[in-house]
Amino acid sequence: MNLEELKKLKEKAQRQVALREGSKKYRVVVSMGTSGIAAGAREVMKTMLDEIEKRGLEDVEVRVTGEVGLEDVEPVVRVEEAGGEKTTYARLDAEKARKIVAEHLEKGKKVDNLAVGKEKKSE
Amino acid sequence: MFEELSLHILDIAMNSLTAKARTVQIMVAEYARLDQLTIRIQDDGRGMDTATLERVLAAPVSTKRHRKKAIGLGLALLRQTAEMCGGKFRIHSTPRMGTTVTASMKLSHVDRPPLGDLNATILALCAANPAVDVQLHYLGDTEHFHFSSKELAEKKSVSRPERFWSGEETTNYEPGRTQKIEREGAAAGCLA
Repeated sequence: MNLEELKKLKEKAQRQVALREGSKKYRVVVSMGTSGIAAGAREVMKTMLDEIEKRGLEDVEVRVTGEVGLEDVEPVVRVEEAGGEKTTYARLDAEKARKIVAEHLEKGKKVDNLAVGKEKKSE
Repeated sequence: MFEELSLHILDIAMNSLTAKARTVQIMVAEYARLDQLTIRIQDDGRGMDTATLERVLAAPVSTKRHRKKAIGLGLALLRQTAEMCGGKFRIHSTPRMGTTVTASMKLSHVDRPPLGDLNATILALCAANPAVDVQLHYLGDTEHFHFSSKELAEKKSVSRPERFWSGEETTNYEPGRTQKIEREGAAAGCLA
């Protein structure tokens, strides 16, 4: 373990804290249960946070949830729009996560080939 | 099986968030001269009674009632890692008071997974629930590091926790430190 690395944590966390406030257009929910973590959910989430920050997207918040019942297709990320539309992306990795940020969260275009299931409207 | 101990930490700490903890304290003590690595995750969540605790360790458990099959393998996986690496696994929980999970390992054990990206684990936990104070206390042979997401948000300096170490288990870590810790614990007890 490298203490220098840990010290960077404070600056990084500071920026993440800034991402939290207010209600946002997009909410990204990462499945971070045991199976999600084992499949690489943490790296997916880290990549998304970095990419969101890099692109300066302010209208996005990133949250985490436990198991979502999709253990066989983890890592799973759900993108919820303020209008109620929800898209679930599955079998992600860092590269796919970057693509979702670039396409869906920045341009508002869903990445159909990574999405699973039917789109749902919340009640 | 997780390839990094920091993934174990993330997994266990996610349980704490599910248990509605307001503070999650993560301690990593890495002492080469004792050949010991200890990880402790302590929360003030809703805790478990004895019956639940026994169930958690005996078989896969899920807190979600609607779930047909319980997944809950996180604690069992950590116990396996600890015991495989010449260490011990301990869990202590009190309903409405919180849960403490401790896992120790021989630092030099050939099967011991690397700590890995502890920063990514803490960042994920910070993002997971902004209302929760996520604390990291890293103790090494010569260096210490303390982090608290709440104090960061309030832009205060990070101070030492008051009641992080408790009970006789502290003697395992660092004899020189123990007395002070016990005093702090006692002081916190008096105030409470």
